[in-house]
Amino acid sequence: MPYLSFALRNLGAKKGRSIGLAAAVAFAVMTVVTLAVTSSGLEQSAAAIISIGKADFTVAQKGVTDLLSSSIDANQLARIRATPGVQSAVGVLVETEKINPQNPVFIEIGIDPSQLKRFGVTVLEGHPYAPTARNECMVGWRAAANLGLHVGSLFRADGTVNTVTGIYSTGNSFGDDAAMFPLPAIQGYNRVPGIVTLVFVKVRPGTPISRVEHSIQYHMPELTTIRTATQFGRADRNLVYLKAAVTGSTILAIIIGAVIVGNTMLLSVFERTRELGLLRAVGWTRRRIVGMILIEAAALALIGAAVGVGLSFGISVALEHVPALQGILHANYTPTAFWRALYTALGMTFIGCLYPAARAAFLAPLRALSYE
Amino acid sequence: MSESFGLRASVAGEEPAVKLDDVVKRYPGGVLALDRLSLSVAQKEFVAISGPSGCGKSTLLHLIAALDHPTSGTVWVNGRDLSTVRDLSYYRRHEVGLVFQLHNLLPRISVLANVEIVMYGTRLSSRERHQRAMELLAEVDLEGRANRLPTQLSGGERQRVAIARALANEPKILLADEPTGNLDAESAQRIMELFGRVRDTGVTVIMVTHDEVLASMADRTERIERGRIASSTVNR
Ligand SMILES: Nc1ncnc2c1ncn2[C@@H]1O[C@H](COP(=O)(O)OP(=O)(O)O)[C@@H](O)[C@H]1O
Ligand SMILES: [Mg+2]
Repeated sequence: MPYLSFALRNLGAKKGRSIGLAAAVAFAVMTVVTLAVTSSGLEQSAAAIISIGKADFTVAQKGVTDLLSSSIDANQLARIRATPGVQSAVGVLVETEKINPQNPVFIEIGIDPSQLKRFGVTVLEGHPYAPTARNECMVGWRAAANLGLHVGSLFRADGTVNTVTGIYSTGNSFGDDAAMFPLPAIQGYNRVPGIVTLVFVKVRPGTPISRVEHSIQYHMPELTTIRTATQFGRADRNLVYLKAAVTGSTILAIIIGAVIVGNTMLLSVFERTRELGLLRAVGWTRRRIVGMILIEAAALALIGAAVGVGLSFGISVALEHVPALQGILHANYTPTAFWRALYTALGMTFIGCLYPAARAAFLAPLRALSYE
Repeated sequence: MSESFGLRASVAGEEPAVKLDDVVKRYPGGVLALDRLSLSVAQKEFVAISGPSGCGKSTLLHLIAALDHPTSGTVWVNGRDLSTVRDLSYYRRHEVGLVFQLHNLLPRISVLANVEIVMYGTRLSSRERHQRAMELLAEVDLEGRANRLPTQLSGGERQRVAIARALANEPKILLADEPTGNLDAESAQRIMELFGRVRDTGVTVIMVTHDEVLASMADRTERIERGRIASSTVNR
């Protein structure tokens, strides 16, 4: 019998207990992974907003609770444009609106028609709206398809009824599932004249992007620049808090799991006292005894991790179908999520097994042999 | 009689397999289990340790197996003071083989696996371990029982498996504590013959028994009373 099979046979001998332990691990993994993938999904949707515009980086107000409450005024926009190395700076106002139950966070972008090309917008059908039109808009081709809109259709959004003057594409699925409005119209509706949410900056060829970023941050410390989703926390406090909550729950889940695993493994070590004493008496080293228990733990962890990821997948699919969460919550299964599952499970079982393994290793063989 | 040191032990040029000098074992409760006991066992000798229950036989065996330490005195095994041996696991795996009266085998794994598990961590591959275990089982006439569970064997067969296991790592000394304690006379007889054969292969055998008849089948019998050697009998 190979050592591995010998070490694992105990799991098979106590099937009920092994299933219970694996279930405890799986439950903790499920919690951790579901939290992680849905928060990473949130991060992804927020990041998507900055990815709509074709830019080298995006400027937002620093330290706001969520990206869309960023506010940059005309003066700041002018200073960004005047920063050396800046080729273009497109100010846009981004709002979300619930236009129907299927679209609770429909993205509306206020942008001057002269900036559309720089922003990466291609008009597929019709033509752009007039710069100061009151009741005109363009819709992305995905939104048009979803909402059944064509050039000339009426679209009720932004507090008014608007005529669709054109259908556009940005090459970005979030951007194509949105609508664009003349900047003054959306500023007026939201009572923020002259204000934009984000500024999309393109840098002159040959100028290092980071130098321009630093220059903007230095001269306007109230603003921040964002290039990647992970830099998001600079502008989006909610996301930072959410990530902290996820980390906290992960630690908690690991501790609870470790306690359950530790308790059960300790019981299992007590039950095997005589057997462990015999193995020590016939020459097994302490290390081998510990190894045997850790192999059991690792097997439990792997099974628990696999089942936990499966459960988490099921739960996040179910959550996406909860009407109140539709369109807001979507799971983002990255390799990181699977690593997280693995190290949660392994961490939990190994921490839990430390004390039982030490107990097993330091059993006095003679006393263990006479144990009833 | 009354030559309290083994005759063979004094054969010139050979280190005794086991030698105890003035060994005292006092248990934490205060019980004096061994009282300045001295004993020498020659290489390739088959010695029976007899005496009434509670006289200190198991204690003596445990000291030789390095499962416990003497309170004072020295235990020498093949010329080495056991108190200086640092890797006791290695010692228990390779220098001595152990057979107990009861609960020798793990009940939920096969007879074969019971023999194999003491060879983990040696240089043998999984296949070599299997092969060696099969050979050992053949030596104790149990090759046909290799895949049974210990609970499916008779008491005598189980003890033979334990002996096969004790010999797996080719120890120079076989230690058995009341190996026949739970066996009928015929099975016990068979175990004694097996020990004789083991001794013939060059292994020193030290067997504890309270049965005087069985003890007389060994080369020599050392009788212990109240923690001391009371008498020594050379049987052949
Ligand atoms: N772990 C122990 N703690 C205290 N006393 C013990 C222990 N083991 C044995 N004894 C005592 O030591 C004496 C000798 O025991 P033991 O060597 O087992 O005798 P035997 O094997 O000859 O029956 C007995 O009085 C026994 O009760
Ligand atoms: Mg005894």
